Amino acid sequence: MTKKVALYGILTSLALIFGYIESLFSLSFIAPGIKLGLANSVALLLLCFKDFKGAVLVNITRILLSALLFSSPFSLAFSLTAGILSVVMMGLLSGIKGVSPIGFGIAGAAVHNLVQLTVASLIFGRAVWYYLPFLLASALIGGGIIGAVSLIFFKRIKL
Amino acid sequence: MLKKGDRIIIISVLALVITSSALLFFEKNGGKTVTVKENNEIIYKGSLYENKVIELEGNTVEIKGGAVTVTQADCKNQICVNHRAITKKSESIVCLPNKVIAEIE
Repeated sequence: MTKKVALYGILTSLALIFGYIESLFSLSFIAPGIKLGLANSVALLLLCFKDFKGAVLVNITRILLSALLFSSPFSLAFSLTAGILSVVMMGLLSGIKGVSPIGFGIAGAAVHNLVQLTVASLIFGRAVWYYLPFLLASALIGGGIIGAVSLIFFKRIKL
Repeated sequence: MLKKGDRIIIISVLALVITSSALLFFEKNGGKTVTVKENNEIIYKGSLYENKVIELEGNTVEIKGGAVTVTQADCKNQICVNHRAITKKSESIVCLPNKVIAEIE
């Protein structure tokens, strides 16, 4: 138990730092909100170890903390709904044998972007759906890269 | 490194990318048109998604980023200038003194 608390603490802070590093270089010139998804790699790694509960915990804690530290409650509405749904999606897919972290990384990123767009369209109107193809394509690339990175880490480390 | 399930996911996301861009392309081209009339005469008719500034006798109508606004009017009340931008079908901005109407169809 103590070991787990410490491990989740370390992983959460790692995810937080990833999120911060990512916020330093913005890819928003392609479409607003596009990012690599580095912070999500921690949850992906936990899912590689079949630790769904840990992945959900680390992701939610990371989102709450980063909203508190770096952004506003307004953006929390975006990131929390998307964060929870995408981690659940990844958890479900990670339970399937024929799906590797690359697959559930992509699916998680796609769900994340879809949910954020849905929330955005509720606030800003349906014109935001214009970004859908860009965001889905970025999910394919970003999710795939992050999934592959997590897989490489999974093969080389022990938790 | 890729497993069967991964391929299914990649293909379905790709299919989503393609269908969503096709739908957007369709909506952009077959979508909404803006009509600007002055004295019941059609002065301008064009796509909502094509940015344009239309100068009329007493008004300036601007189409930008899928929204229509009246940016300038020489009348007293300025109701049309203060009107919020219109973006949806069958919305319109009217300038009564100059008999100008901009609507989305």
